[in-house]
Amino acid sequence: MADVTVVGQGIFLRGSIRGEGDVEIRGRIEGDIEVGGEVTIADGALVNADVTARRIVVRGAVAGNLTGEDGVRLEQGARVVGDLRGATIGVSEGALVRGNVQSGNAAGAERTRARTASAREAKPVARAAEARKPVAAPAPAAAAKGNGLPRRTATAAEERTGPPPPVVPALKKGARAALRKRSR
Amino acid sequence: MANTVIAQGITIEGELTSEEDVVIQGTLRGKLVSKDTVNVESGAIVEADIAASSLSVGGHVTGNVTASDRVDLMPGARLIGDVKASRLTIADGASFKGNVDMDV
Amino acid sequence: MARASSSTSHGGSAILGKGAQIRGRIAGDGDLRVEGAIAGDVALRGDLFVSDGAEVTADVEAKSVVVEGVIEGDIAATDTVSIRASARVSGAIKGSSVSIEEGASIQGRIDADFELPPELIGKAGR
Repeated sequence: MADVTVVGQGIFLRGSIRGEGDVEIRGRIEGDIEVGGEVTIADGALVNADVTARRIVVRGAVAGNLTGEDGVRLEQGARVVGDLRGATIGVSEGALVRGNVQSGNAAGAERTRARTASAREAKPVARAAEARKPVAAPAPAAAAKGNGLPRRTATAAEERTGPPPPVVPALKKGARAALRKRSR
Repeated sequence: MANTVIAQGITIEGELTSEEDVVIQGTLRGKLVSKDTVNVESGAIVEADIAASSLSVGGHVTGNVTASDRVDLMPGARLIGDVKASRLTIADGASFKGNVDMDV
Repeated sequence: MARASSSTSHGGSAILGKGAQIRGRIAGDGDLRVEGAIAGDVALRGDLFVSDGAEVTADVEAKSVVVEGVIEGDIAATDTVSIRASARVSGAIKGSSVSIEEGASIQGRIDADFELPPELIGKAGR
């Protein structure tokens, strides 16, 4: 009995794929995919769907957001327009993507922002002098310069994951002292 | 050898159109049109009209089925719906409730 | 810094060592290897290498960019961008090709220039 669901190259599904187990997509899907296992989008597959799975590996074309709890990997030949979210994100040379990218779970992202915030507090920087949230800092600067670099849409991603972190993150007892010691 | 297998544990909802053989071991709700064969294995649940070249049912199907060639209901199969096929076999132990049109 | 007059001129190669900090705008024709910290702006004609332990809080422009440390800012490369597993990047990333090693901490946006197959065009709406 097969454990892997295979949606063959000659298939066109307009609808959803849900459940437990691994899924390999070689054909065409319009809809959405949410499974508990690993989703592989093979070379030649055409996926117009958001994909949520434990792990996602892409070698085909996707118009949709990819959320892989354990990770998302785009391999050579992958063409993705959509956001990538996962504990780890891998993009091979030869894989093309257009979208927001966020690695680590939400808690990890908060930790990263808190760490960066305290590190910047320790090293006074011209930019940090203006009271701003740490991660949002580059965007206003880029806009002010008008250097043609794409505007960061990470703030949209931040809003999606929850309220933005306070400039001074709420720290556990003793953590502030530990951070001060570390950043010295 | 089937190229497409919907494994147990997976539920597909929607319209499935296939140019190749399809094996269903999981759940399908909606509509299935295959240019080739469809095999609904024991344990599978299909709530959909099925059109195929030939259809073999070992699981549960609720829907009308049309085959250009044949429809075979295996022991343990359960089909509730109309059948349109030029050939039909209903094995001992299969359940069937519906109309049959063999004038294809 | 000596400058060659050819179109692929390299002004030379510079290293910002560990423990060194620069605040301000860095512009140059050559390559730059950052092991320390930069806060400001980086615009190079050559390649940028940010080593593990380095902290760049700046928008960077370069030919190719390899990141093993931290970049907080947008990355714009005319050539390739390689983000290694030890890197931490937050910002927009643009390059002829962008690769990210699993393990890297990324929060940002990648914008590659390509078209999806016709069956998927017009569906993305992004």
